[in-house]
Amino acid sequence: MAGILVLGAGKLALGDMLFILISFILLTWAVKHFAWGPVTKMMDARSDKITSDLDYADSERASAEKLKKEREDALKNSRAEAIEIVNKAKDNGDEQKKTIVSQAHSEAESVRQKAKSDAEKAKQDAMNEAQNDIANLSLEIASKVISKELNADDQKSLIDSYIKELTVNNETK
Amino acid sequence: MDDKYKFIDFLGLRFNVANCLSALVVALLVFILVFALSRKVTMKPGKAQNVLEWMIDFTNSIVKSAFPGESGNRFSLYAFVLFLFIFISNQLGLILQVKVDGFTYLKSPTANPIVTMSLALVSLLLAHYYSVRKFGFGGYIANFARPVSFLTPVNLLEEFTNFLTLSLRLYGNIFAGEVLLALIGTVAKSFGAVSFVVAIPLEMIWQGFSVFIGAIQAYVFTTLSMVYISRKMTKE
Repeated sequence: MAGILVLGAGKLALGDMLFILISFILLTWAVKHFAWGPVTKMMDARSDKITSDLDYADSERASAEKLKKEREDALKNSRAEAIEIVNKAKDNGDEQKKTIVSQAHSEAESVRQKAKSDAEKAKQDAMNEAQNDIANLSLEIASKVISKELNADDQKSLIDSYIKELTVNNETK
Repeated sequence: MDDKYKFIDFLGLRFNVANCLSALVVALLVFILVFALSRKVTMKPGKAQNVLEWMIDFTNSIVKSAFPGESGNRFSLYAFVLFLFIFISNQLGLILQVKVDGFTYLKSPTANPIVTMSLALVSLLLAHYYSVRKFGFGGYIANFARPVSFLTPVNLLEEFTNFLTLSLRLYGNIFAGEVLLALIGTVAKSFGAVSFVVAIPLEMIWQGFSVFIGAIQAYVFTTLSMVYISRKMTKE
């Protein structure tokens, strides 16, 4: 240890400079090692985290918006599709109705036609039958009449009626 | 003031005990403060970490205002330590001054020109070192002839005035503050109880003002250091 001197002024205390430089450098090192390093690292990490969180939020929002748009489009499309389906069904129904009605018409027509022809045929049959019956009946009557004795009066009246008939026929001609 | 100091001569260098002891105490205080505030470093900061981050943000903003872009980031730590060191130094003498047998042992280290010159020397050496590193030695020398060659003497002179103004501004402010504090202290002792009562509010007011001055000077010193470094690293 050097001698302790007591001086008011005189020689510059250059040792102070050295001492302060060394203590300042040591202090800087210690602060960096114990406080500055970890804290600034954490601050950087935090700012990175905030930035990435913000970016993440942005991208999430963008994707959510996209999804929403897609959903809206899908909804719009489905509505259009539903309308189309309903229209198609309506058209189909109309067509079907038309065909059914026309089919029914034609069927009814054919039934009517058939009924008409049947009726005609029945009528014809009935007429034929009646004709036969009448023929038979007249034959029977005739035979019965013929079998009865023809007297003069009867003969006369018969001839008269024939003549009358003939004259009527001639007059009308 | 007529303070007396103890000196130690060691290896041909003269050490002022008061300066060395005070600087050591300040360095320890700064370290303890920062150490205590940085114990639980988490992503979600607690109270202590918030205080520390607030201080870091404060000095970082000083650095950012002096440097363009991100180029000043490497000086953030220096600015932080410098600011805290000077700030605590300025406040130390307001709170605690130790005198034994007329010899001062503890006071504001920044109330001594040697200490402030040391700090200014560190700043300016950093400025010149980074200037040489950026432009090369030739570029560094050539920078003295900018913007026009006939300003070279002025530029050279400016280096000395920068050094002196930076160091002596801080020294003057803090030294004057301490002188006035000591004066008010002697007033308090001069007429017994009456003057004591009168001096107390005066002392309080001046101490409060000195705290303010100490903070301002720490800010000014740090800002100017950063400006000088930044200016040495740009071509004018």
